[in-house]
Amino acid sequence: MSSVFSRLYVGNGAFDIVGKRTRWYITSAIILLVCIGSMVFNGFNFGIDFKGGTKISMPSVSASGQAIPTSAVEDAYAKALPGKKPNAVQSVGSGASASIQLKSPALSIAEVATLKAALAQDTQPQGGAGAISDSAVSASWGGEISGKALWALFWFFVAVTIFLVFYFEWQMAVGALVAVFHDVIITAGVYSLIGFEVTPATVIGLLTILGFSLYDTVVVFDKVKENTRGLLGLTRRTYAEAANLALNQTLMRSINTSLIALLPVIGLLVVGVGILGVGTLQDLALVQLVGMFIGALSSIFLATPVLVDLKMRDPKYIAQARRVAARRAKATGPQAAEGIESVDDEALSADLRKEEAYAAAASVPHRTAKAGDARRRPTGKRQR
Amino acid sequence: MAPPAGQIRPAKYLASFVLIVVALYALVFLTGNGSAKPKLGIDLQGGTLVTLTARQEDGAQPSEEALNRARDLIEVRVNGLGVSGAEVVRDGNNLVITVPGADSEGAKGLGQTARLAFRKVIGQPVPAGAVPQTQASTPPSGDASTPPSTPPSQSAGSPPPSSGAPQGRPAPNLAAQPSSAPPSSSTAPSSTAPSTPSAPSNVDPRVAKEIQEAKALRQSTDPQVLQQAALLLDCTKADPLRGNDDLDKPLVTCDEKGEFKYTLAPVNPPKEDTQTKADDYTNYSRLTGEDISNAAANNNPNGTGYVVNLDFKSEGGTKWGAFTAANVQQAVAVVLDGEVMSAPTIQAAIAGGSTEISGKFTLKEAQNLANTLKYGALPLSFDASEAQTVSPTLGLQSLKAGLIAGGIGLALVFVYCMFYYRLLGVLTILSLVLSAVVIYAVLVLLGRLIGFTLDLAGIAGFIVAIGITADSFIVFFERLKDEVREGRTFRSAVPRAWVRSRRTILSADAVSFIAAAVLYVIAVGQVKGFAFTLGMSTVLDLVVVFLVTHPLVAIASKSKFLTNSSLSGLGGAAREGAAHRATTTGKTTAVKEA
Repeated sequence: MSSVFSRLYVGNGAFDIVGKRTRWYITSAIILLVCIGSMVFNGFNFGIDFKGGTKISMPSVSASGQAIPTSAVEDAYAKALPGKKPNAVQSVGSGASASIQLKSPALSIAEVATLKAALAQDTQPQGGAGAISDSAVSASWGGEISGKALWALFWFFVAVTIFLVFYFEWQMAVGALVAVFHDVIITAGVYSLIGFEVTPATVIGLLTILGFSLYDTVVVFDKVKENTRGLLGLTRRTYAEAANLALNQTLMRSINTSLIALLPVIGLLVVGVGILGVGTLQDLALVQLVGMFIGALSSIFLATPVLVDLKMRDPKYIAQARRVAARRAKATGPQAAEGIESVDDEALSADLRKEEAYAAAASVPHRTAKAGDARRRPTGKRQR
Repeated sequence: MAPPAGQIRPAKYLASFVLIVVALYALVFLTGNGSAKPKLGIDLQGGTLVTLTARQEDGAQPSEEALNRARDLIEVRVNGLGVSGAEVVRDGNNLVITVPGADSEGAKGLGQTARLAFRKVIGQPVPAGAVPQTQASTPPSGDASTPPSTPPSQSAGSPPPSSGAPQGRPAPNLAAQPSSAPPSSSTAPSSTAPSTPSAPSNVDPRVAKEIQEAKALRQSTDPQVLQQAALLLDCTKADPLRGNDDLDKPLVTCDEKGEFKYTLAPVNPPKEDTQTKADDYTNYSRLTGEDISNAAANNNPNGTGYVVNLDFKSEGGTKWGAFTAANVQQAVAVVLDGEVMSAPTIQAAIAGGSTEISGKFTLKEAQNLANTLKYGALPLSFDASEAQTVSPTLGLQSLKAGLIAGGIGLALVFVYCMFYYRLLGVLTILSLVLSAVVIYAVLVLLGRLIGFTLDLAGIAGFIVAIGITADSFIVFFERLKDEVREGRTFRSAVPRAWVRSRRTILSADAVSFIAAAVLYVIAVGQVKGFAFTLGMSTVLDLVVVFLVTHPLVAIASKSKFLTNSSLSGLGGAAREGAAHRATTTGKTTAVKEA
């Protein structure tokens, strides 16, 4: 138990994630199939924004301090709008924020006004007629938001692919995008499976998951890139091993960043579900909670393995892997164990020297900027 | 004082951060109205928000110009409500009307389709509910010597323009008398007025059927049917023909207030009518709002009150001249979306295209009519995609809930950081708080400069961004741990860890920013607010990490007391580092406590 934690904490490459990648591929393929199947056969539970309709929200406490039963609201509705029926009337939230939510098929402006007047009169909510809120949405609005969201999704992928290709390599771009697609599909699938209500806020939340999932992946890939610099000239380890080491070194970081990012979302969820019981906060929090969790997993278990598989199609890396194997075959036992040693000293110390020079160079302007005179004067340089 | 090579001057960074904060808050308090409150969205302060989506019959993209004209029109209407702080903002093909405050529901009816046409009035208007008369008879109200007019009073749920009684005589330099006193113009919403459905849709088959039926009856070419239709028409019901009437057919309709029923001639001769010559204006005005070049409310040059001056485009002026010449002493109805806004009598032929409509207008009424005439002929119709009224109490509750959620989120992050990073955790908290300080100032300034409003989704954006901001600290701190694990001291590890993590932070933030920017540019409605705050926090995160967190860590690394491993939370890594040193230098393998 503690050893798992210390292995995690120290990040010395003890978890063979890349090596067992077939296992992760199969697992994620099964989950993906289930999710896609659910989306196809089960569909989604779309909220009012997608179907069109009118929502009324009012305090659930009357002016005299009594709780207003939902039946009173239904009665007022039936009286005000004979021949129509609300889809649902429910009490949500707690404390001062407790409210009654009424969902109805689309009502005209006049009908809404009539209904609000009737509700104010019959149930006498705290704050009077002014405390009743309403919201009408046309059937096309949710579709428009989602349509735009899909475009946003498309352009996001274009922009991010360009960024990743320039910043990393194309294989990394593919690996990251595979992971992101995976996250989006699974998050959507979870919504379909459990039957959470899909609102425009959910769609927004889904889009921001993309950014987060990539954030995680970028952190891991940054380390992979660093670990595999100059790899081809060495026979110390294969690309797969170097990538696995990077994964391990960033594992704690990935877990930490995911946890920290999740904490505020939990705050949102507590308030959204516990206090308000309905609305934007709840919808956003729920989708982010699901998405961030999956995003963290996929950046560890999917993005890097895919990257390794793509890289290993390159003859250069295959040849290098053969050289590594050959060297290991020649060598005796102790050296074979080197493969899981904690740190690649040569590469890293070379890195460090480089970074040191970099750091020194980076800080030069700061030194010359202010304290420059005092330091330079004795050298006699550039004195005027 | 000079720092050793490879070290930074933390004080300088911190000073520039302080400078930024001071500058921002100076702007907040010394410019604008000096109130340090961000602009809140309707869902947080209460009020009405209506999103209108432009809808073209052929599904084509509405032109920029048309959208901007529509925006202007609706802004005029919104201002007509007399509520302060109301706004109309264009967002792609949408117009978003926001009206803060409790008495804001009148805004819901503002987005009605506005298609203007001139139709000759056939016979006399009849009071709603009365039997129609086809012969000329006593006008329903007012003085018998003057023709009837529309005496609309402004009511909730219907467009505010023309609330006067424009019983004017459209002849230049002549005065006319109103047949009825202009009713008071009330902006207070009342629920009795006719109104359009909040979500009209041209796809709903039920609605389509309703329109077809109404057309068969009220736009029949058979006078008998029309007479019947005038009898049956109920002015208190929502009009399915609203904005859907055919211009080349007669129309039986109500006036804006629902008091009178009119039988109106077609605007254009029907296509199948080959007998009517192109220059025959006895029945057909052939004029729509497209023919109007300008309309303005002015002081009455010949007396008190206001008049509306109407200018036609050159072709429209010719048509207007021919039409007025052929119909002297007849009434012409200004029809907006199938509703009669005004029905003045033509006193004389009007050549030249400049016309004055007089009547007992108040300034506001005259302006409303002028705007109806000027902007009524929009080539666009709008769907109310979203119409919500949030009570101020609910708004306040949402605001509170958002702040509580943010508080809980921050507290959880604090606890975790303190637990996991100890001293570094304190720095994290400090950085987050400073980040919040900067964000607040920027929020206030953006609200002032570009009208950015903070809504509930925006607050959610900030809360989610707490995580992203904290993530950059973690990337840095974990790097620091890597370095300490290598056997370096805290002090020497800081610059190395910074250089390496800086790159990661920049690239990771770049991805977050791209996500937010794409979302902001493409999305609509609430999504925009969320994306904006998310993107903004990402940028400010960089500012804080570069100017605060890193310098603070650098300062801490130089203090003997603070580098104590039990305080820094780096004990484990330091032990590992010591072990590493021991093995690499070939000494004993015994692990020494650092």
